[in-house]
Amino acid sequence: MIYLYIVLALILIWLISTYNFFVSSKARIKASIQEIGNQLKRQADLIPNLESSAKGYLTHEKGIMQLLSDARKLVSAGRDASKQISEVLPKLQILVESNPQLKADGVVTNLMDELRDTSDKVMYARRLMIDLTADYNVKRVSVPSNIVANMFKFDELKGLETAEIGDHMTVSSAEMKSPRINL
Amino acid sequence: MKNIYEVQSSNKIKTIVITVFFLVFSFFSIYILGTAFGYYAGYETGGLGYVGIALIFSGISTFISYYYSDRIVLTISGARPANSKEDKLFTSVVDNLCIGAGIPRPKLYIIQDSAPNAFATGRDPNHAVVCATTGLLEKLNRTELEGVMAHELSHVKNYDIRLMSIVSVMVGLIALLGDWFLRTTIHGRSRDSDNKAGAIILILGLIFAILSPIIAQLIQLSISRRREFMADATGVALTRQPQGLISALSKISADHEPLEAANKATAHLYIVSPFKAHNPERSRRVDWFSSMFNTHPPMPERIAALQKMA
Repeated sequence: MIYLYIVLALILIWLISTYNFFVSSKARIKASIQEIGNQLKRQADLIPNLESSAKGYLTHEKGIMQLLSDARKLVSAGRDASKQISEVLPKLQILVESNPQLKADGVVTNLMDELRDTSDKVMYARRLMIDLTADYNVKRVSVPSNIVANMFKFDELKGLETAEIGDHMTVSSAEMKSPRINL
Repeated sequence: MKNIYEVQSSNKIKTIVITVFFLVFSFFSIYILGTAFGYYAGYETGGLGYVGIALIFSGISTFISYYYSDRIVLTISGARPANSKEDKLFTSVVDNLCIGAGIPRPKLYIIQDSAPNAFATGRDPNHAVVCATTGLLEKLNRTELEGVMAHELSHVKNYDIRLMSIVSVMVGLIALLGDWFLRTTIHGRSRDSDNKAGAIILILGLIFAILSPIIAQLIQLSISRRREFMADATGVALTRQPQGLISALSKISADHEPLEAANKATAHLYIVSPFKAHNPERSRRVDWFSSMFNTHPPMPERIAALQKMA
């Protein structure tokens, strides 16, 4: 008799824990969807600001480059005029330029790092949602937890909705060639 | 070709098998040692008293190292906390992976050492610590660093520190019991026992006292190696880029600089064993034997397992 009670108690514990797995998974999936929204919002706030500040710096530097090349032209024009003097002087010319330090490459690298970081964050937020949904859906159909899922009508969750037919499921002959990069 | 889910579940099953085997073995040897102690001391049930004392000793020492593992390890290795301004790559990579793994962000630390390596510790995901050397941060690119950090976060997520702590309580317990038994039987005055069963138990106890600490340690090491494979697989499940971890592992193992901050107590925590092989051209048989005493599986095996997932 006592064994019957022990078995019943074990079954009850399993039932409760399986039920709790399903309901807590659902809550976590909901939270993970909110996290995707959170990351998308961060991206939407951040990227335009980064873009405009990088643009601002790049145009500033473009102006400097323009000034520099103008100055160079002036210098070489001056050199032509002083040809007579340079014939007299030994054929030795030293051109001393003091250029301002250009930081455009750093700005662009920084921007690209931020872009990758942001899209990684959004990608990982989606990954969490996909993983949690997959765990939930696997548990829902596998034995013995499917008994609980059917008993309490836990439906299949869609996760990241992706079209199951379309261009991404077929490979065209153009896509089979390895891409060439022209800069 | 095995997919990530198959690798993960086969690792899970293998861990369970090894751990159950380990538990059965430790209870058996503790029982034998306890009974032998009892016979030696002259009262048959009293042996369990020694087991109790040994359990308290080994339990307290491991509990302290488990509960304060983060602080102890950080003090030993002399790490400094990472901040998001100077170590932007490190912090942002871990941040992103934590979003994907659904765990809170662990505390991040940096060890000033040019040997590339990293480790994770802490008793649960809420008290986790991930530590990287400056060498690792300098030598790896972003994808490779992501692979390494995903491996470390998998240790955190899979509660490996907890598992290894429980295992080391048992190993410590067996080692203590064996040590005490040998001490008392060698140094204590021998009593003549006319009981035949008692003599057999005493001999059994002697054999177990010598052999079981070694066997227990070997099983502990094989659990540790299994968890490394598991963390590799879970890490790849997170990044989906086995190539990143593969190239990071080959870069780290190609680097022959020893890590100065590491010692035997912290070796099992690192992503790659901080003690490098002295002579890579050893015969295969010696390799097989020495690999039983390693905390980490051999690098070619790990890379082969990862390539199957790619």
